[in-house]
Amino acid sequence: MAKMTRRWGMVIDLDKCTGCGACNIACSQENNLPIFKDDSDVPKRVTFLDLVEVTNDKDPKAQYPDVKVAYLPKMCQQCSGNDPNHPQPPCVSVCPVVATDVGEDGVVSQIWSRCIGCRYCQVACPYEARVFHWWKPRYEGTFKKSLNPDVSVASRGTMVKCTFCSHIWKRERDRAIANGVTDINAVTYTPACASACPTNAIIFGDLNDPSSPVYEAAVQKNPRAVRLVHSIDELRTKDPSEYEKRLKIKDYPNPKVYYLTSQQWLRDKISGFKNS
Amino acid sequence: MKGTRSFLLFFLPFIIFTYIAFIVFQQACDYAMNVQAKKLLPFNHQTHTTQYGADCELCHSYDANGRFNGIPTVAVCKQCHDPNKVNNATFFAGFSDTDKPWETFAQQPDLVYFSHMAVTKNEQKVQCISCHGDKGASKTTAKIKGKMAMGVCMDCHTVTNVSNSCTVCHD
Ligand code: SF4
Ligand code: SF4
Repeated sequence: MAKMTRRWGMVIDLDKCTGCGACNIACSQENNLPIFKDDSDVPKRVTFLDLVEVTNDKDPKAQYPDVKVAYLPKMCQQCSGNDPNHPQPPCVSVCPVVATDVGEDGVVSQIWSRCIGCRYCQVACPYEARVFHWWKPRYEGTFKKSLNPDVSVASRGTMVKCTFCSHIWKRERDRAIANGVTDINAVTYTPACASACPTNAIIFGDLNDPSSPVYEAAVQKNPRAVRLVHSIDELRTKDPSEYEKRLKIKDYPNPKVYYLTSQQWLRDKISGFKNS
Repeated sequence: MKGTRSFLLFFLPFIIFTYIAFIVFQQACDYAMNVQAKKLLPFNHQTHTTQYGADCELCHSYDANGRFNGIPTVAVCKQCHDPNKVNNATFFAGFSDTDKPWETFAQQPDLVYFSHMAVTKNEQKVQCISCHGDKGASKTTAKIKGKMAMGVCMDCHTVTNVSNSCTVCHD
């Protein structure tokens, strides 16, 4: 079998995002996420993709016409750690039972059946991307009949999270094999959120592929690109030596999800970088 | 002598009880494990594979995604057995595709993502018999007892140099 060269990643254009929430619904439907009576109970609800409202209304300088709002689709950022040979996202390094691990394609897996429910990973994740099944998943009315047969319903007391719809990848892989394709790198797919987005704000692809719109080397040079709470990125151009030094002393999450925006206030909010 | 007899008589109820209980439990286990197919079409795997030269895939065909090897319908039987022949017509009259379904034997739990074709076609090292047992030599449709535990998959993955990481098969 050929070696996997793909490294799945995502680029989300926040200037295109209208905050409609189609990605959120598509994700929940695709992954059989339960619906509870009060899903406004944020810490306890089960959703992989959160639509976070970002606004500068707390900013003392922002007066009436300048108050801005943006919506940020936030799922697991599929961190890769700062050592390319030994990818170690914050969540993977703490799991005592290897229920979560980095795959060959860079996707951070989450195997609920292996999870013992210690919730270390939830604490370790800097993006609050993980959700815990506090209750047995329940579905209203006839919803149960429309569950996705490709995704198993996690039991109570286990951790779940976005895996870039890895079941779709597996489905495409198996379909390719059935058609006689044995090259694993020929398999491409699109996660539910990216295919649901009406404005094409979410672009999914291979970060290693120069012909892909999400080619990482190109995205990193894009002045509009910013990663969630990853202030070190600003140092890459501003102070390369400091950047190198800091990378060595600390494990940075190094997510594979990039956000694009040309609004400076939003960039500041997302990156967490303080010019001081 | 008399002592032995009364001794036996004393234990006879226990022996009978144990024997009956054993039968009942065995039936219960078979029932719970769906050992018997619901559609009780008398099918002899052995004659089909040895005398008529059928291989497994003749009747158990893949779905479009190559994931499942289906259980054949009665219509598949009729492709070879002329349903208009007098003997066959009376036989097939008792079975139709819409009556009780076959049970899917050896079904994997929900959380396993398994594709038959990925396993059998990709590596060309695995055959039906490797996991399903020597079904071709069986004379019935009943399930071959025993569990298909994850260790079996993992051993095979190790030998054939396929990744053993969880995400290969699980979500
Ligand atoms: S909650 Fe589950 S996945 Fe998370 S660290 Fe504990 S065992 Fe691992
Ligand atoms: S965003 Fe959180 S859950 Fe996802 S890889 Fe990073 S640390 Fe793990």
